[in-house]
Amino acid sequence: MENTTTVDRAVAIKARNICKTFQISEDSHNTVKHRLFNLFNPPKTKYVPALKTMSMEIMQGECIGLLGRNGSGKSTLVKLLAGVYSTDSGYINVTGSTMLMNLGVGMSHELTARENVYVSGSVLGLKIKEIDAIFDEIIEFAELEGFVDTKIKFFSSGMVARLGFSIAVKAGADIMFLDEIFAVGDAKFQEKAIKVFESSWIKGRTVILVSHSMDVIRQYCSRAAFMKQGELVYFGDTEVAISKYIEDNQ
Amino acid sequence: MLQVLNNWFIRSNKSERLWLLAKIEFKLRYYENKLGLFWALLKPIVDVTIYYIVFKTILSSDVPAFASYIFIGLILWNFFVESTSGTVQILNTKKYLYEYSNMNKLEIYISTLLSNSIGFFFNLLMFIIFYNLIEPASNGMNLNSIWIIVLFLNLFILSLGVSLILSCLYIIAKDVTQIWQVFTTFLFFLSPIFYKHSLFKEALPAFEFGNPIAGIIINARRVLMQGVNPNYELLWFDILYALILFFIGLILLNKLGSKAAEKL
Repeated sequence: MENTTTVDRAVAIKARNICKTFQISEDSHNTVKHRLFNLFNPPKTKYVPALKTMSMEIMQGECIGLLGRNGSGKSTLVKLLAGVYSTDSGYINVTGSTMLMNLGVGMSHELTARENVYVSGSVLGLKIKEIDAIFDEIIEFAELEGFVDTKIKFFSSGMVARLGFSIAVKAGADIMFLDEIFAVGDAKFQEKAIKVFESSWIKGRTVILVSHSMDVIRQYCSRAAFMKQGELVYFGDTEVAISKYIEDNQ
Repeated sequence: MLQVLNNWFIRSNKSERLWLLAKIEFKLRYYENKLGLFWALLKPIVDVTIYYIVFKTILSSDVPAFASYIFIGLILWNFFVESTSGTVQILNTKKYLYEYSNMNKLEIYISTLLSNSIGFFFNLLMFIIFYNLIEPASNGMNLNSIWIIVLFLNLFILSLGVSLILSCLYIIAKDVTQIWQVFTTFLFFLSPIFYKHSLFKEALPAFEFGNPIAGIIINARRVLMQGVNPNYELLWFDILYALILFFIGLILLNKLGSKAAEKL
């Protein structure tokens, strides 16, 4: 990308020729017994090309918007870049810890809120002392003061989502993948969430934002990508990407 | 090299994270049920009592210090079974750890095995107390007993390797759980846990070299109960087994384990 502002920045994510095809077999051939009995009758496998070959480079501190209609491969791309899925070809180089946020965040329902904060914080690369320091802030931001030692399986889905969001905001990985996160919590919490974005939180962090809200993308993203049927159609100027997306929706 | 490794370990929070996950895992296991930590202490005692009654009282086995003999065999065996059978579905139950970040999956295994190790050391402590203070036919322990640390490390790597292999196979074959159950029963009776080592050797010559668990149990008894050096040949064999299985496990983790998020 011939973007002059990114010249002096280091690369946060470098992806070269990545692609992803999902194999979906029609009957569940996932036991030894099944495999033996159907040795000469291989299962019918459907190949779903979720992501066609693409390359991209994201610099540190950038906020990138991802646009595209449902099923265009946005979530698959995000999971590939976050290192959750493995790529079929090419390579992805990531500098730093990553965190993926969508409707659920990496939390165990068997653990209490306190334990989840510590586990998630630690997975995100914080030391125990650092988590101690921000623990109260996280609980306060999530509005869960009375439920610190309650297992989160007894939480409502809103409470879980709020806790996840608070951890992400306060602990935060170097690279954040935010997949439709503005749907979390009630109006009051959403307001708080948006305020976080307006504050300096986003500065110095690499953020990849998946959203169907044009306003959000336009406001925060320096560059945006538009995807269609698993293909990266355009990656560059935010306004151009948005206009291509709106065109596609017509 | 050591300096680099040391820096990496202290600067990153890896050691802290492993310990944190191990502690939480341990707490989940023992504090969740009514008996709590007491259960961790009670289980080996109950097991030893059952085998003692069957083999000493009914079958009148002539092994000296028989209760200690089964005790040490059982706690080593239990660690192996808990760390292998207990972790077949680990990529499924611990999905929340790798599904939302790029955390190294190997850490999940190591922390779970560390948690099992805490239980093992509790049991080992009980064994040491039992053998030195209660067991009437005890020879006492001596410096050679320190070898148990090496033997345990050997067992740890072996269990880690098997655990990696099984849990990765689980992604493509769900019934590996049942198959492994049958296999462990088989292995249990082919390890000299409750019968005499000489009987085992007579019936299955050289099999102690074919079964890595057998070698570890035999050596543990040598160093803890007889106060002699381990059988070095057997020790090298078992370490080699452990390293080979661990290596295969790592390859499988890279090949199959990386697909866990989409397949499970």
